[in-house]
Amino acid sequence: MIAAIGLLLGVLLGLLLQPTVPAWLDPYLPIAVVAALDAVFGALRAFLDGIFDDKVFVVSFVSNVLIAALIVYLGDKLGVGGQLSTGVIVVLGIRIFSNVAAIRRHIFHA
Amino acid sequence: MGLLDYVAATSIDEDYAHVSELRGSSGSGDRPPRPRVAALVVLAVFGVLVATAAVQTSRNAEESASSRESLVEQVRSRRAALDRRQETIAELRRDIAVRRASELTGTAQGRDLQARLSRLGVETGSTATRGPGIRVVVDDAPGTTDPRQKVQAPDLQKLVNGLWQVGAEAIAINGQRLTAVSPIRDAGSAVTVNFRSLRRPYTVSAIGSPKTMGARLLDTKGGQTWVTLQSIGLQFEIDTEEAMLLPAAKPVSLRSAREREGRR
Repeated sequence: MIAAIGLLLGVLLGLLLQPTVPAWLDPYLPIAVVAALDAVFGALRAFLDGIFDDKVFVVSFVSNVLIAALIVYLGDKLGVGGQLSTGVIVVLGIRIFSNVAAIRRHIFHA
Repeated sequence: MGLLDYVAATSIDEDYAHVSELRGSSGSGDRPPRPRVAALVVLAVFGVLVATAAVQTSRNAEESASSRESLVEQVRSRRAALDRRQETIAELRRDIAVRRASELTGTAQGRDLQARLSRLGVETGSTATRGPGIRVVVDDAPGTTDPRQKVQAPDLQKLVNGLWQVGAEAIAINGQRLTAVSPIRDAGSAVTVNFRSLRRPYTVSAIGSPKTMGARLLDTKGGQTWVTLQSIGLQFEIDTEEAMLLPAAKPVSLRSAREREGRR
């Protein structure tokens, strides 16, 4: 419940304020969103498994976002930004899919 | 374990299991874990992140579309401006020619100059030239793949030199007027003249005496070369023409030029 409220609050806040993203941060925003999505689905699965923990969620969320952005930043500096972002997206995508599959099993028992 | 299997198997953060184990062993794990304020804050941050990314993406799309449109608009307007200016240039050139002619025909000295101008124009290729002459059409041997049976730049060079030798006043190859500085070169499979690549067959038009040029050409070195080439299959035909119009060459920037001593 509290999670849904937080999410709604955040989306409303973002839509109302429409913060401008500085140009240097622009390329890292999409990858940060995907990394955050992974952390959120991981947390949801942990919650359904009954092993959710606030601290772990906060840490995994922050570190996921930062590391994903850092990898892409590093890739950009090395000239392989495109390939590294693809790699990050693939790994995070697989994680999201398997987490969603586990969540689905919890909810539908199938 | 394969990399993909590993990623799929550890898709949930191991810390969740780790922490819950700790909690279980310390005995305080009776209360079910519930998300609290920290989770709310993080989820709010997540919401802001998603909303911002969406807003940013749509904004960027608008921007790139509008910038593309403005670029297209700029290209169009510049192109139109260029066309107008080129028209103006052509108009001014015509104007200059008319004025020069009217000015020069007024005096005897001017008429002299006018005659000299038109003669130099023919020789340098800077004016379009009309007159009788011969037309030499050369082509590869039919259906050949052998490079020796194809027309190459040196063959055309020899032919052109032969034509100059027998008194051609103006020469053009496939409509490319030759000047003193026109290159005839091989570029890949094509021959280029004035840096334009030409298509077979090559029509060499030369203004001069139609009666004598054709016959005398065969006595020159270039003509001899072509007699030989003809014997190995290349096509070579000479026709006389009563009237031909050779276009002007593109203006060349002269670095140094001097009029020939003694007139023809």
